[in-house]
Amino acid sequence: MAREECKALLDALNKATACYHHLVLTVGGSADSQNLREELQKTRQKAQELAVATRTQLTAALRDRGLGAEERAEFERLWVAFSGCLDLLEADMRRALALGTAFPLHAPRRPLVRTGVAGDSAGVAARALSVRSLRHEAEGNFDVDDLRQLEREILQVSEMIQEMEMKVNVPRWTVQARQTAGAELLSSASVRVSSVGAVSVQERTGPCDPNKALAATVFSAVLLAAVALAVCVAKLS
Amino acid sequence: MAGGRRGAQLPHLSKMERVVLSMQDPDQGVRTRSQRLFITVIPHTAAGGDVVAWLIRKYCISDEEALHLGTLLVQHGYLYPLREPRSLQLWPDDTPYRFQTPYFWTSTVWPAAELDYAIYLTKKNIRKQGTLVGHEKEHYDQLHRKISHTWDLVVMQAREQLRAAKQRRKGDRLVIACQEQTYWLVNRPPTKSTEFYKQEMERCRKALTRARVKSSVCLEAYLKFSGQRGPHDPMMSGCLPSNPWVSNEDAYWTINAPSVAVPTKLRVERWAFSFQELLEDPVGRAHFMDFLGTEFSAENLSFWEACEELRHGGQAQVRATVDAIYQQFLAPGAARWVNIDSRTMERTLEGLRQPHRYVLDEAQLHIYMLMKKDSYPRFLKSAAYRDLLAEAVVPPEAKRRVFPFMRKPLHASPSPALLPASPSGEPVAATSGPECGDRGT
Repeated sequence: MAREECKALLDALNKATACYHHLVLTVGGSADSQNLREELQKTRQKAQELAVATRTQLTAALRDRGLGAEERAEFERLWVAFSGCLDLLEADMRRALALGTAFPLHAPRRPLVRTGVAGDSAGVAARALSVRSLRHEAEGNFDVDDLRQLEREILQVSEMIQEMEMKVNVPRWTVQARQTAGAELLSSASVRVSSVGAVSVQERTGPCDPNKALAATVFSAVLLAAVALAVCVAKLS
Repeated sequence: MAGGRRGAQLPHLSKMERVVLSMQDPDQGVRTRSQRLFITVIPHTAAGGDVVAWLIRKYCISDEEALHLGTLLVQHGYLYPLREPRSLQLWPDDTPYRFQTPYFWTSTVWPAAELDYAIYLTKKNIRKQGTLVGHEKEHYDQLHRKISHTWDLVVMQAREQLRAAKQRRKGDRLVIACQEQTYWLVNRPPTKSTEFYKQEMERCRKALTRARVKSSVCLEAYLKFSGQRGPHDPMMSGCLPSNPWVSNEDAYWTINAPSVAVPTKLRVERWAFSFQELLEDPVGRAHFMDFLGTEFSAENLSFWEACEELRHGGQAQVRATVDAIYQQFLAPGAARWVNIDSRTMERTLEGLRQPHRYVLDEAQLHIYMLMKKDSYPRFLKSAAYRDLLAEAVVPPEAKRRVFPFMRKPLHASPSPALLPASPSGEPVAATSGPECGDRGT
């Protein structure tokens, strides 16, 4: 059904936008490299493809006059989420362009900011592209060419947004979102981030993380049992 | 960020960015160590004392000033403390700090947006299992009321961003979370300090005293301006003999050169619009000078020109110029004495004791207003001006071979070459409008 397809496409676009945002965060920092720029390019191109596909489907659905009121409301909701997502993507792309120009990778006297982020981000990009792993194949001056490409893509996305505004007339404020405040806490089984813990990065002297406490208890229980068994064996023999 | 204002970066922020960038130099920058948390090792930690020492060395400033500068950097979010993230202050001992990623640097070009704050708070809500407190809870509720229509997007993005972050290793995840937390601590501070309220008061005061003009008045003035200037505008009314960009002939420019013997009719008409127009045009100014000569008040214009020279001339010549002007125009019994009222003359003579570039401004303004109110209307009614209008040349349109106009002119006599119905006319003559302007170079 059209609605399911639209929702799936929108979810994929949302995922790509979130991953792109995450990658743009590290541009200019210590994790910036040729690989990162390549990942940025792949992620944003995927996001753009998804955006075009979603737009086609949604505009087709919204222009269909014979749609029931409920269906229409549903599609309008999807539309508002879609255009918000696209705005976020465009803003992040512009930001990436500004940061990429300000922090060229091969300039001798422009060191990158030492932010403490050192690992690679191939996993994030792979998630955005829904592949298992990512292969890097960029050559020497990739980042310079990529910036020009990025400018063109930004223009394309802006044009797409404008076209969308022209073609479909959905006033955003009339849409009632399905999620209410605090909706993110429900069905959050897959999102329970336990391993991040307290955000202030300090030597752990305060209250311990529940997982670690559990592990410690189990371990000590097993150790005690082993000691008890050893004592029994020693006593018996 | 989504659809935010685009201003220019404030200068103090650009300066701070430069300082932070020079701190990153591998040889000359601030020394960094690694931080150890159980099993994860995170590099690039700078001690507060090292930062202060570097500032003192690099800019040759005192202890106090370096500490103050460092605290400014921390308060604007370029550095953040690792142990107590909420206390944005630089301690000159070995308290660990880390540099903020450029994406989260404070910027007026990319102001912090409500949607992003909502996403951040939602992420925090998820991480803390719904126990947001204090000002964050307030902001969360407020945002939900304000942008409830995009709440779907907020929840979706929050979840996905958390999932994306999980793909990184633990050290990076911690660092990125700290960075985001610092960004929002700087941009949405928990308590509204006195500084904030002072700025608000200043802003409201400025808003109250802002000059307001009724739009009816504005629009009337605008219409009048457009109506008056319409026939003179090359885009709206075409330019005679031909548009150089279209026909590749620069006759238009040579005819309208700054100093030409016979000005065009349009140019002479423009002198009647305002005194400023007349003075700005060298030909107009010359004719006005002749007219004043016949009225025996040419020294006014000469004085005005001399004052302009003083204002825009070199600094070394200021004293000499002021003396020359005084001798020629202002001294009692001078050769070309100008008539300034006594109060202005007193003040000018006072100022002449310590001459600077703008010391003759009052006198110049007085003479300017005198000319504008008195001589200028007489000039416009005079025979000299009428003769100028009569003698002024109206250049004929260029011949068929050239593309003359972009639009039909609003002049009384349309030229036959313009009519689109001309049989052997160029195909372009039929198309009017901006397309003609795009042709050619």
